[in-house]
Amino acid sequence: MDYSENFGKMEKGFDLDQAAAEAGRCLLCHEPPCSKGCPAQTDPGAFVRKLRLRNLTGAVRTIKENNILGGACAVLCPTARLCEKECSACGIDRPIRIGKIQRFLVEHSWRTGFRVFEGNAAGKAAAGKGKIAVVGAGPAGLSCAAELAKQGRAVTVFEARPEPGGVLRYGVPAFRCGPDFLKKELADMRALGVEFKCATPMTGKGAAEKLLQDGYRAVFLAIGLWNPVRLKERQKSIKGLFTSLDFLAALRRGEFKAVGGFFEGQACAVMGGGSVAMDCARSALRLGARDVYLLYRRSWSQMPAEEDERLAALREGAHFVLLNQPVGYLADKKGGLKGIKLVRTRLGGKDSSGRRKPVEIKGTDWVIEVQAAIEALGYKPDEDAPSWYPAVASDKNRLILAEEKDCRTSRPGIFAGGDIIRGPDLVVRAVRDGKTAARSILEYLGQEKP
Amino acid sequence: MTKKVDLSVTFCGKKLLNPFLLSSSPVSNSAQMIERAFAAGWGGVAYKSLVSDRISIPHPSPRMHPYHCGDRRLVGLQNVEQTSDRGLKPNLLDIAYLKKRWPRHLIMASIMGFSNQEWADLAKACSDAGADMLELNFSCPHMTVEGSGCKVGQAHELVEKFTATVRSVTSLPLVAKMTPNIADMNEPALAAKRGGADAISAINTVRGISEIGLDDWVARPNVFGKGAISGYSGPAVKPVGLRFIAEMALNPELKLPLSGIGGVETWIDALEYLLVGATTVQATTGIIHYGYRIVEDMIEGLSDYMAGRGIGSAAELVGKALPHLHDTGAFDVKRQGVAGYDLDRCVGCGQCYIVCRDAGGDALEWDAEKRRPRQTQDKCLSCMICSFVCPVSGLIAYREMPAGWKRRETVTLG
Repeated sequence: MDYSENFGKMEKGFDLDQAAAEAGRCLLCHEPPCSKGCPAQTDPGAFVRKLRLRNLTGAVRTIKENNILGGACAVLCPTARLCEKECSACGIDRPIRIGKIQRFLVEHSWRTGFRVFEGNAAGKAAAGKGKIAVVGAGPAGLSCAAELAKQGRAVTVFEARPEPGGVLRYGVPAFRCGPDFLKKELADMRALGVEFKCATPMTGKGAAEKLLQDGYRAVFLAIGLWNPVRLKERQKSIKGLFTSLDFLAALRRGEFKAVGGFFEGQACAVMGGGSVAMDCARSALRLGARDVYLLYRRSWSQMPAEEDERLAALREGAHFVLLNQPVGYLADKKGGLKGIKLVRTRLGGKDSSGRRKPVEIKGTDWVIEVQAAIEALGYKPDEDAPSWYPAVASDKNRLILAEEKDCRTSRPGIFAGGDIIRGPDLVVRAVRDGKTAARSILEYLGQEKP
Repeated sequence: MTKKVDLSVTFCGKKLLNPFLLSSSPVSNSAQMIERAFAAGWGGVAYKSLVSDRISIPHPSPRMHPYHCGDRRLVGLQNVEQTSDRGLKPNLLDIAYLKKRWPRHLIMASIMGFSNQEWADLAKACSDAGADMLELNFSCPHMTVEGSGCKVGQAHELVEKFTATVRSVTSLPLVAKMTPNIADMNEPALAAKRGGADAISAINTVRGISEIGLDDWVARPNVFGKGAISGYSGPAVKPVGLRFIAEMALNPELKLPLSGIGGVETWIDALEYLLVGATTVQATTGIIHYGYRIVEDMIEGLSDYMAGRGIGSAAELVGKALPHLHDTGAFDVKRQGVAGYDLDRCVGCGQCYIVCRDAGGDALEWDAEKRRPRQTQDKCLSCMICSFVCPVSGLIAYREMPAGWKRRETVTLG
């Protein structure tokens, strides 16, 4: 089985002709509403206009200066409910395909060798000004580090895993954001002079706060959520049962054979209705699973996954088993997964999220026979995360208390953003947090006594 | 983080921030508008043409009409615009204001007289108002009075006479604006030089008809049942503008700085004008289509182009295409080639087959089964029309053939 073919290839992007034709549809609005629709202020109104006026280098510059992860956002953003939703062309027929144009422009710069940050030695030059520590090299951390480096600040990014990227590298399948794509995207971080210390977790009591004592003038906590929510808190290990975190990370590490053995030719299940569940289902299909059942306790329209992701999973062959609540597992004598116990549900009244709540229907227990399963039920902070930064206040769900408007925490000098302040959310919002935090940090350092 | 390159150029002794100017038109109608353009990045202005207050020149209504080509809007623009419809005094006050408020920007007053005296009066008034230079409008296509507008530009002795008149009353640099509605622009340009002009700007609009109403048979714009042959501008006229600028730049007797006008929308258009010999470029239709903001992309695009090619100063680009411009007689016709096909990317539309058969060398056969063209190489004329209609960029590209390669004779039926 050719795993690299199945996983390595991203969907084809636009070429110049397609991008130019699409930009030709742009209405070049006054006060472009698409630009207001981008959480990270990537400013599609400007870069599409620049493409239209044949200023391609300028278009790339707009993207990359506003959003250091402009390539990743282009392929991962649910544009249909962000920039493209606001597009004035919707009033005529359909929106400009902004995400596709954005990806083209970023890839075009890679193909032509045009570099926005080439030769920028800001990071090195500013070493005397006092370093800033960023904890976590995911979207929020990278965005903050880039913003600070552009302002001439020296930044060190501490990353627990062997490589930077966070969810982009370990949480999203390669067919959506491939390793080569990410490598090219992150080359800008190096050009900006950002220093990376990978495989350097800031865990342990007070570790994050200790950075301040070590001479870092400010700390940005962008540690993300890496603790999977489980169906049962104390789930005994069963062969063939994965968390989405372990499953997707193993595939990103290239462990296709070890993981694939559980899936190839087998019936398997994915539990959950979010984007990660769709990624897992599509990955399982690419591993050669005979049948992939998506088990979800509510119905199609309540699924948090984007519609195009749901349709992609459906098109690629996943079976959507809706209105069924997984309640437990069956294992064989050797400790291998044999099946999942389910109870049928119906939809009751609305819950706090505004979605109709699933109500179990008594006496409808049944078992779906599967040899492999993935729990894609969401992520939460690590159990002991708050002990890494005792002076930083967290809520009862262990999410750090910080406002989106300034990313300040209860401890002056420590800032936080990304999923650790909000719970699971979009990459582009993490990018926005990174930019917000950078502004706050610069403001904070400006007020600091020399 | 645009790399540092120098976009400044020196035009008639004045150093400009960049070569990008507003041309004399509705986009340069008042100081209020012009200073917004300067704030956006334009390097200067040719102010909307001034006439004496002696006669009033009211505007027809409506004034303009678009030429849309397929789904591409405003490929051309038709107008029956007249000279400024504001009084002379407010315009002079605006010029004085601009000069004071924006000293680094080029403030060029455009004037048009109907007699020697008027030319002299307007020139003096604009000099007194503080204009950096004067553009002499010998080219408005809508004047019906003999001895005005492009009627002057078509009568070379009048060009010389009026230029000399202006020359005698002001020491400001004089830029003579030429009409393209003639066969050879060098003649009026030389006449202007003899009269004392310091530079030439070209082209004013091309006289044309953009559309005729199919219900009323009235050429557009339809001014209450009447149409007119009038000024046509925009991307569609750029090839004509480039030609006239190049011809003047190549003329060894003329040797005057040039300001290129006609279809400038993007940095590429501007660059092409520089390459054929213009020191500055002027724009109107591009602004009518997109607004003053296009200059941001002209500045950024040209800067990146220069940085990418290691060109430090925009002035270095002026005339760079001229050494490569020849009469067709100079071509080496021994070297021949064909249209080369990369059929792996072919989508099977067959347009190449249709045009080659009907307008080319009939060098393609059509494989109906596979939906692919098959070329008989020695019938290909290398006209390249197949590549113009091919929807896949770069699929069809010119390929030179070895020396001695021969094209076969066209079939004779008689």
